[in-house]
Amino acid sequence: MSWLVGAPVILPLAVAALLFVLQGRREAQRVISTASTALLVTLSAILLYRVSEGGILVAQFGEWRAPFGISFVADHLSAIMVVITGVMAVATAVYALRDIDPDREALGYHPLFQVLLAGINGAFLTGDLFNMYVWFEVLLIASFVLLTLGNRREQLEGGIKYVAVNLVSSLVFLGAIGLVYGVTGTLNMADLAIRLPQAPGGLVSVIAMLFMVAFGIKAALFPLFFWLPASYHTPPQAIAAIFAGMLTKVGVYALIRVFTLLFVHDVAYTHTILLWIAGFTMVTGVLGAAAQNDFRKILSFHIISQIGYMIMGLALYTPLALLGAVFYIVHHIIVKANLFLVAGIVRRYAGSFDLDRLGGLYRRAPFLSVLFLVPAFSLAGFPPLSGFWAKLVVVLAAADVGAWPIVAVALVVGLLTIYSMTKIWQAAFWSPLPDGVELAPRPSGLLYAPVIGLALLTLAIGFWSGPFLAVAEAAATELMDPTAYVRAVLGDAAAATIGRTP
Amino acid sequence: METPLALTVGVLFACGLYLVMQRNLLRFVFGLLLLSGSVNLLIFTVGRLTRGAPAFVPSELSTPPGDVSNALPQALILTAIVIGFGLVVFAMILLLRTYERLGTVKTEELSAHLEAPRPVPMRHDDEAPA
Amino acid sequence: MPGGDRVLIAVLLAFGVALAAPVIVRVAGDRSGWVLALLPAGITAYLLSHGSRVAAGESIVERVAWVSALDIHLSMRLDGLSLVFALMIAGIGTAIVIYAGGYLRGDRQLPRFYLLLLAFMAAMLGVVLSDNLISLFVFWELTSITSYFLVGYKHEDETSRKSALQALLVTAGGGLAMLAGFLILGLVGGTFEISELLSDPEAIRGHEAYLAILLLVGLGALTKSAQWPFHFWLPNAMAAPTPVSAYLHSATMVKAGVYLLARLSPALGGTPAWFWLLTLAGAATMLAAGSLALLQRDSKRLLAYSTLIALGTLVMLIGVGTPGAISAMIVFLVGHALYKAPLFMVAGSVDHEAGSRDVTALRGLGRVMPITWITALVAGLSAGGLPPLFGFVAKELAYEGLFENPLLLGALIAASAVMVLIVYLVAWRPFAGREIHAPSAPHEAPLSMWLGPALLAAGGAVLGFAPWLIGDSLMVPAAAAVLGELHPFRLYLWHGFTLALGLSAVTVALGVVLVWRWRPVHDALRSRTLGWTFGPVGGYDALMAGLVRFAAWQTRVLQSDDLRHHMTIILGFTVALTGLTATFRGELAFDLRHEAGYFYEYIVLVLVGAAAISALRAHSRLVAITSLGVAGFGIAIVFVFFAAPDLAITQFLVETLIVIIVALVLIRLPRGSLRETSNGSVRAIAGTIAVAGGALFTVLTLAVTALPFDASLTTFFEAESYPAAQGRNIVNVILVDFRAIDTLGEITVLAVAASGAYALLRRSFGRRRDDVDTEDRSDRVHVERGGGA
Repeated sequence: MSWLVGAPVILPLAVAALLFVLQGRREAQRVISTASTALLVTLSAILLYRVSEGGILVAQFGEWRAPFGISFVADHLSAIMVVITGVMAVATAVYALRDIDPDREALGYHPLFQVLLAGINGAFLTGDLFNMYVWFEVLLIASFVLLTLGNRREQLEGGIKYVAVNLVSSLVFLGAIGLVYGVTGTLNMADLAIRLPQAPGGLVSVIAMLFMVAFGIKAALFPLFFWLPASYHTPPQAIAAIFAGMLTKVGVYALIRVFTLLFVHDVAYTHTILLWIAGFTMVTGVLGAAAQNDFRKILSFHIISQIGYMIMGLALYTPLALLGAVFYIVHHIIVKANLFLVAGIVRRYAGSFDLDRLGGLYRRAPFLSVLFLVPAFSLAGFPPLSGFWAKLVVVLAAADVGAWPIVAVALVVGLLTIYSMTKIWQAAFWSPLPDGVELAPRPSGLLYAPVIGLALLTLAIGFWSGPFLAVAEAAATELMDPTAYVRAVLGDAAAATIGRTP
Repeated sequence: METPLALTVGVLFACGLYLVMQRNLLRFVFGLLLLSGSVNLLIFTVGRLTRGAPAFVPSELSTPPGDVSNALPQALILTAIVIGFGLVVFAMILLLRTYERLGTVKTEELSAHLEAPRPVPMRHDDEAPA
Repeated sequence: MPGGDRVLIAVLLAFGVALAAPVIVRVAGDRSGWVLALLPAGITAYLLSHGSRVAAGESIVERVAWVSALDIHLSMRLDGLSLVFALMIAGIGTAIVIYAGGYLRGDRQLPRFYLLLLAFMAAMLGVVLSDNLISLFVFWELTSITSYFLVGYKHEDETSRKSALQALLVTAGGGLAMLAGFLILGLVGGTFEISELLSDPEAIRGHEAYLAILLLVGLGALTKSAQWPFHFWLPNAMAAPTPVSAYLHSATMVKAGVYLLARLSPALGGTPAWFWLLTLAGAATMLAAGSLALLQRDSKRLLAYSTLIALGTLVMLIGVGTPGAISAMIVFLVGHALYKAPLFMVAGSVDHEAGSRDVTALRGLGRVMPITWITALVAGLSAGGLPPLFGFVAKELAYEGLFENPLLLGALIAASAVMVLIVYLVAWRPFAGREIHAPSAPHEAPLSMWLGPALLAAGGAVLGFAPWLIGDSLMVPAAAAVLGELHPFRLYLWHGFTLALGLSAVTVALGVVLVWRWRPVHDALRSRTLGWTFGPVGGYDALMAGLVRFAAWQTRVLQSDDLRHHMTIILGFTVALTGLTATFRGELAFDLRHEAGYFYEYIVLVLVGAAAISALRAHSRLVAITSLGVAGFGIAIVFVFFAAPDLAITQFLVETLIVIIVALVLIRLPRGSLRETSNGSVRAIAGTIAVAGGALFTVLTLAVTALPFDASLTTFFEAESYPAAQGRNIVNVILVDFRAIDTLGEITVLAVAASGAYALLRRSFGRRRDDVDTEDRSDRVHVERGGGA
């Protein structure tokens, strides 16, 4: 079954190559690209099913055994992330059919989108640190091009900032990988899980800080997040939605991976720093949102704020907290991407993202109003929507270890999130249409399809959270005890040496 | 020989850092190139130095004889150099395009240009149904 | 278990009907109110059918697993306290649903209205029936959300929107504090099941976290029940349609806080902290509401302040917590519900039929609205605490319950006197008089709008004469649930000439004085602002404005538009975090006695460093590019020194290409110096970060190279390169075989970068739309294509 582990990467790459060849044949590209995302999500779902039935799956590329060849590893966390990528891929691919203009399609939107998916899934599945760098670069260059595709001034301005910060972060990441290799002589993460504890702890802590920063920039943590609100409001909504949903989460995933598998030798130090960063991330993000008056900018700042909750789960480093972090990621991706998609529909109605230029949508478009409320109130953490359970679990985990300051921060930020979401609601939906603004006719129903699908998913996770929590719990259990991961990659003998000092 | 190499890594890194914190985006790109060189040299150095033979298996043997240079970091750096090349070229073109469209390569002027009134704001007329 | 799971089904059914309400309304048209009222009526009947079992001291308990991973259950528990609250919710709900059908007749939002109203009712039932803290919280928040939408019903009016948000933020803020309190409570008690928590009160009261639990849960309850200093949202919530005000903001939702306090009092009550928190909050609410009521002339706002008085009374009685006070609390609760809901509906009918809520603008309506007036009078007498109505029974009991606390008793008497005034203003003044004064021609309200209030008011009258009807069957079991043990008491209309009766007389006398002097006092108070703005409302406004200002400030400081600023923060943070870790926790060890190099090696390294510094200092672009080239070639030569020919060749090649591309780009960029005009401190900061960062990387390189190296990977590659992979150049074999997937990614990056550069360079693409928004164009394309879709 090991081909299945590589499939979520190889499939979009192959499709990208095919679409590249088909450049100029727009209809064929649209059909193939969209259909392939359906296949992607199916394969990913099978992968997750296999993992939950039979445990961690490993593929060795070229049949070179670990740690010499590159491993692809699907544990629960990776499989969950791949499935959610697939879901996002389908949603944004369908939305893009009506959102991306023919000019952008002619410039290669479809193959770029597939390359982005391959990069994201590669980062989630790889079991090799340097290979993770490669996939990061793949998704970065794809995101660079997607972000600037269209050459609007706004896009170029945002694109420059995004590109600049991310290139620097990649170099920090690369340097950190070099140092890890110099210390241990290996790049395979399972192998590193064995060898890093045997290295001098102080040095490893310093290197851990470099990883924290490198991934922290991608995850948009405080005080490294500036690139995000500077750029996420510039591309078309289909692109913004997958960015908002997935890209920061690749950083969060990487942080979770390395701070559960590799850098757990001095949790009291490293994870305390993460907890502080998490708190500041929540607060600055939500305050940033409070200062905005643009639909998309408010949403962008809320990405940052919500990332704080996920990192809080990681920083607390208990089974419950990691469960919360994983659950939070899944919830947040669905909800946040959906809000961006809704924003796109709102813009088609009213012609703007500026809250002062919006209004009257509750009267005119009650169904869209409901479609906004589901993700918005879920983000705000209202029960019984998915965001409530996500917040509840991380807060409960914090309370469990007596981390009261972060509990207080999390709850106050929750209140401010409610404020932000109602601000959008009141301005765009409740308030009367401003003078001089006219609403366009209802946009294409195809734009609604992914929004409805994601809203239903949000409701399902909210009302039927049990199975989702169970999968997240399985992921958390594996993260707390890396033995299974190491055994799956390197075999029983190696797993027995975990944590043994020379 | 590690100490002077480590010093070189540091000097390159420091110069690169300084340049990426400058207003002129051209200098930013220069900084990026220096940082990139610094990191490559770092990987090379921490992969341990060998003044012996290249990592090559002579035609009459099936394994290299004795001490050859560590091949793995070389392979990593090779990949990194090529990836970095792609990214930097893209960044340069982006910079060029930005200059053409926004009229500046100064970081603090990028947004200032956006706030200037735009000549054709007819957004809603554009969208009105025919 | 007999009747098992049916309580939960009743709640879920209510949610189901709520969701179906829009459809039902479309089918039933003007009769929607009557049809939908079958739901609350049915629930009332169902609840009453359990009355005898509950009266016998039984609790009906159900437990359905919900989120088993977190040990959260949809536990339901119907005991005396729950039954009283649930009956109020469903019973008054029946009247309200019918009334709303008349009040909002023809309103195009009626389908949504019923959806929200019934969903609220379901959630409220959930609150009072839940036996699990988390599921209680879920329902609790649902009431806040539905309240938000109902208060903002007239959403195109800015006041409605603001009031809705205010109510939501205050109650949801309190709710989050309450959630924190629940979590601590759950951790302390080891369960979220309420009945289990209540079974071991000492474990909670004696715990060091008790005060935190009390304050946090108290915050939730007090905000929800609009206690001072959070009372202000309630009068503002009168922006809602009258049925909503009558139902949510008088009879039910605002009593959720009271319910919670009563429910948890066996575990949290009986301590000095409990006593002082609740009695002070309750008394302050009564007094503040009593004084503020004097400023009002809008009938709904007057009634809102009277609701505040009643809520303060209830909270105060719970705080006192004696059997007498708790019994009084339960009776007062029911009494209040029976008179306040009809009074609200009457005020709504008057507004609806006569066109005003200003009590000074209306006279003589009794002549044309007799049924409404009689209803108002009966309910009003009960509200004023006059015999022979149930409100009188309740008030007497409340006075008796406070005999041991004369100060609190005094506060209640003062507030009750204001109640008399409010009753006069709402139930007498607009109706009395021979001449009719009203903005529009008044007429009697339709059946749907007088039936409900009339029945509720009649209920108050019947229970006044025969309070024993509900005494042993409802009131005593409810009080027992709060007290944790049975304390039988009897309800009488006539107690004889007691102290309480005397105090009632005093209250009425004070009320009459207020009625007599109302106009001058009211006008005098209204003519000055009196600094009301500095009160809690002002506090809320200041807090919101401060939040926005602070948010704007922090965004300005942290989130400037300048990329250089961002880079400085990011790199400063990176270097500080890593550097401090290295300094204080790194325990880095070096071995500087490395093998010496050759002279020419040093020369090359010095050259690389000098070139980097030259690139840094260059003012001329030519010098800068040349320096970069030199540094790059120098690095390539280093690779040659240390036996890495492939690397050296690639580095030469790439470096050459980059220099050429940079030069090509430079030709098209503006000429001019690279010199920066930054001031000294900016340069100093950047310089410090740069030097520290460089030092850090030097130190890390040295620390790593000082360690022994595990070359097992390379050993494997050397051994397998030719035999297994048929390649003699090991670096190449690694790239194309051992780590081929890296190379796949690398090629992808190059391909995408090339296509991206092409997309950027396509001149026609950018030019054509130089100032036209791309997305607007795409929209237009779609609008055209979509046609009439």
